[in-house]
Amino acid sequence: MQHNLCRQTLRLSFSSRSSLRPCIRLAHSDAQFTSAPQQQTRTTAFGFKTVPEDAKESMVKEVFDSVASNYDLMNDATSFGVHRLWKDTFVSSLKPGRKGPLRCIDVGGGTGDIALRILDYAKDNHYDRETAVEVVDINAQMLKEGFKRFKSTMYHNTPQISFHEANAQSLPPSQFSDNSYDLYTIAFCIRNCTSIPEVLKEAHRVLKPGGTFACLEFSQVGNPFLSSLYDQYSFTMIPLLGTILAGDRDSYQYLVESIRKFPPQPEFARMIRDAGFSTGKDVDGGAWTDLWGGIASIHTGVKV
Amino acid sequence: MQQTRLLKLALPLVRTHGFTREALARSVLQLPAPKAHTDPLPDAAVSALFGSGDQARKTLIDAWLTEGIRQLQLVDVKASGATVRELLRARLAYNEPVLGYLPEAFALMASPVSGSPPLDPMPALKHATGIADEVCYISGDASLQLAWYTRRASLAAIYMAAELHQLSSPKTAYAFLDSLFESSSSLESTLGEVSLFSNYITKSWKGIIKSSGIL
Repeated sequence: MQHNLCRQTLRLSFSSRSSLRPCIRLAHSDAQFTSAPQQQTRTTAFGFKTVPEDAKESMVKEVFDSVASNYDLMNDATSFGVHRLWKDTFVSSLKPGRKGPLRCIDVGGGTGDIALRILDYAKDNHYDRETAVEVVDINAQMLKEGFKRFKSTMYHNTPQISFHEANAQSLPPSQFSDNSYDLYTIAFCIRNCTSIPEVLKEAHRVLKPGGTFACLEFSQVGNPFLSSLYDQYSFTMIPLLGTILAGDRDSYQYLVESIRKFPPQPEFARMIRDAGFSTGKDVDGGAWTDLWGGIASIHTGVKV
Repeated sequence: MQQTRLLKLALPLVRTHGFTREALARSVLQLPAPKAHTDPLPDAAVSALFGSGDQARKTLIDAWLTEGIRQLQLVDVKASGATVRELLRARLAYNEPVLGYLPEAFALMASPVSGSPPLDPMPALKHATGIADEVCYISGDASLQLAWYTRRASLAAIYMAAELHQLSSPKTAYAFLDSLFESSSSLESTLGEVSLFSNYITKSWKGIIKSSGIL
């Protein structure tokens, strides 16, 4: 399986490098998407741009191919390391392993950030070495980074961790069967998906009854003062840091724009309920928990 | 909403499991046949639906208190002719099946979220005034202005004292409630007489001042 994965990642990495630049440029050229033959195609948001639904998947893939190698460095640089605290809070709020081993699926978790935290939390706090995480990502480059990182941990080559290349909107039922997971996590990924309802539907399908859906995602800041500061910072500093540290302004511009296009907390909570999940009340501390005033937010739902 | 439904299903389980996360987790076992689960909800699911840690227990206690008010609303006062005293007796009777778990529940309600102040009396006061207000409303109390407040405040104080008494001595709680009503009505009449007397004195002084030509 590992050999297969390596082969797949290598194949994809070659193809993506050749097509990266034209694709990113395409994303910022409005004229190409407003031409007559495309009037009938369904569109979706790609940052602040509107693009055909079919195109978004590959464009997002290209963005993450582009940032994969510098992903963790850039996350640390742009958030001053705060993303680590958020991820810690996210995992510890789920308390994996507290009431016995869990079968978890971490979607969009290519670099293994969440998976590693889940396994460490279960091991360190509840002496649980049976909890297993299946990491799923559409992007082979990110999976490759995660696979590499896990080689330095005790989980490498154990049944506790596995990596799968798949689309969150259509997880192959042969591989990800119905009612099979206790915990579905998705961190800083769902806003990049073409259709959020499709992702939620798949999450509902693969979770066992009583299983928990947990999503960590950038969200809307409630405080107007903090919100304007945050806007200033993210639209000026993050693309600049992208240029300096990763040599790729466009990808980071997209990441910032996609955060602003993501639905606010109550609307996303409603989408989670529409997919069939039950949630708490529509307040901070109920259906969602705001982190740092809403810069990021943890949404949870239960398949009842 | 499913969360509310599960809370309702968890209420009968309080008798056996107390105000615990376990009672909430087991609520899914009580769902009707096709939807009933075979296992209780996992810990993460209880946190996701009802709040993390003790917050989930507080959610259950709140639901139980709300159900207590709802049960009072079901009493048909016109048909049964129930008085305020009987309504408060009915509310005390609602406590009986879970009496053993109530001290801990009230202690949890009085525990502040952030650790300051060390004891938060607001939830207990809200609980008692909520019951007093509901009882007044159901019984058709028509008092106005200051009397509106004094009526509710005295009923809340009576109920709170009776409930505290019930926690330590359940059997004598109803007699204690009756004695409180009697002493409160004598207190009320004494207060009324004092106010009438002071009114009379004021009027007399006014008359004396007027007749002496000062005003």
